[in-house]
Amino acid sequence: MSMAEGRGRGRGRGRGQGQDSAPAPRRWLFARLDAFSGNKFFAFGVFIVALSIFLAAFGAMISPYDPQAATGDISVPPPPITEWPRLFYLAISGQLERPPHWFGTDQSGLDVFSRVISAPRADMTIALGGALISLFLGTFLGLIAGFYRNWATELMMRVSDVLQAFPVFITAMILVSLAGRETGNLVLALALVYTPIFIRLTRSEVMAQSARGYVQAAWAVGNSGFKIAIKHVLPNSLVPSLVQLSVTVGFAIILTAGLSFVGAGVRPPTPEWGIMISVGAQQLILGEWWPSIFPGLAITVTVFGYAIVGHAIEQKFRET
Amino acid sequence: MIGRFIVRRVIIALFQLLGVSLVVFFLIRLLPADPVANLVGLNASEEAYIQAERSLGLDKSLFEQLSVFLGFSEPSGLVDGSLGVSWLTSEPVFHEIGRFLPVTLELVTLSLLLSFLIAIPLGMASATRPGSIADKVALIWGMFAGAQPDYWWGLLFVFVFFYVLGVAPPPMGSIDPMMSRPSVITGFLIIDSILLGRFDVFLSVLYHLMLPVLTLVFVISGAITKMVRQNMVRALASDYILYARSCGLSKKEVGRYALRAALTPAVTLVGIFYMILLSAAVTVELVFSLSGIGQYAIRSILTFDYPAIQGVVLVVALLSLFIYLLLDIIHAYLDPRVQY
Repeated sequence: MSMAEGRGRGRGRGRGQGQDSAPAPRRWLFARLDAFSGNKFFAFGVFIVALSIFLAAFGAMISPYDPQAATGDISVPPPPITEWPRLFYLAISGQLERPPHWFGTDQSGLDVFSRVISAPRADMTIALGGALISLFLGTFLGLIAGFYRNWATELMMRVSDVLQAFPVFITAMILVSLAGRETGNLVLALALVYTPIFIRLTRSEVMAQSARGYVQAAWAVGNSGFKIAIKHVLPNSLVPSLVQLSVTVGFAIILTAGLSFVGAGVRPPTPEWGIMISVGAQQLILGEWWPSIFPGLAITVTVFGYAIVGHAIEQKFRET
Repeated sequence: MIGRFIVRRVIIALFQLLGVSLVVFFLIRLLPADPVANLVGLNASEEAYIQAERSLGLDKSLFEQLSVFLGFSEPSGLVDGSLGVSWLTSEPVFHEIGRFLPVTLELVTLSLLLSFLIAIPLGMASATRPGSIADKVALIWGMFAGAQPDYWWGLLFVFVFFYVLGVAPPPMGSIDPMMSRPSVITGFLIIDSILLGRFDVFLSVLYHLMLPVLTLVFVISGAITKMVRQNMVRALASDYILYARSCGLSKKEVGRYALRAALTPAVTLVGIFYMILLSAAVTVELVFSLSGIGQYAIRSILTFDYPAIQGVVLVVALLSLFIYLLLDIIHAYLDPRVQY
């Protein structure tokens, strides 16, 4: 759990900071962060997130080559970037016999560009699926654990503690390798390793909210406990989890690709960023950089995009 | 007072470790993997399969297997400390881990120390001079490098520093392959080479650790910078800093006071960073062919070596619990307000 747990606690600290500080530095902090989470940057993040989801749905359809079929061109380097505008013009005006290999081809002749834009199908499905399931499961269990305090929920927290002592990467590797390297198993493995963070975050927020006046008032009017939990406490306890979600999606992408990088994830020849990096790694020290540099760049940019959106959500809710 | 706290924490930790062992024991046995088929091959005869199953002890009931795992019945297990025998190498898991773990600890500890050396000045500059270049760098760095595919950065560094610039060694192990390894004292190559006076080995180890450490520092120092910055901002806004400033202390001295106050609560976070690095080390070791605990974990998991898998998870969990305990004690020592 180490990675994501670290983020969780780190965020908790960050959120407290506005309230603790004296007025003057606080104003400056807000002004500065507002400017920072302002338009251009935030727009970039949203664009990346939207692009990742768009490519997950349509990437394989719009790719110039079949991402799983070898072309005749072995280890072709990408065209120099100065050539790109000319090639692009030739490609769209239909003067080329075949589309150019924008990112080159790897040693078995697969078109790197086609694979990079087809990979979100696997990577984003697994990462988003795992993160969303852990969000729902963790929020639900955390709500119960924070709202109803008894031996059963206490036991649940102890189990969650034990799960958090497990190393994330190794645990995910065990789950996926032993359960079979299928997409469904990857989603479930990710969901399992990330759920405890959401339980913990939601629980502490629910406990803080439950002591507030509006919840007391809801009790006093005679609402049922269930209704108060769902209708009043839950919506007010979601912010930490939503911020954590975007961080978790980023980690989940890295984990998904990392698992296939070590040979415990999606099976080749599925287009997937981690597989591509690992396939290209053998040629990298011989100077053939393009098969693994481009998929890694895709991961880096995607994770960065989700981090920006998470940062913006955090700022937005800290203001109000 | 602190003695009682330690005893209580150790007892809780023991229960947690027992929980971890039981969870991992049942987990790997309930998942639909077939380690026997993996070991004898898919074309093996039925007799060979049954024989292999018996020799691994997988023909016994789950309860009997548990008793073997815990070490209450033969051959050996948790209680005698051997952690069972690896199915792949027939060596006690404890010995194997003892050989692999120091490599990882060396890598991770060195990376963490270096990260703090970079992150503290950067975070301090960022907090004391808002709006400056250092501040902008720290802010973007914190968001960018907090979560990155470490394995990819490792490869990128290999390409740049080995292939293009030629200043780094090829990513093949933790020491020059032509060099004779020093005899093992602690298992930590850096420490052993100093103890034995083998400075050629010492330099070779540092040379080979250069890129793996750079990779881990790159991945973690952003998050640490962000943490230092946040804590510094909070400390600078506090009343005692206002007091220090009104007493006419110089900016530098005030900064030193604030740093101490900012880092004390951060001590417990060091454990989290350590565990993040330990996780990241799994893939980084693969990239640089370092035979650390991550490589051992990958090998054990991909070959369905159950005793080794159990051992790895248990040792890593033990390490994390130990580090958290140690840091809590240090925190209590540094901050007199902490009560148990």
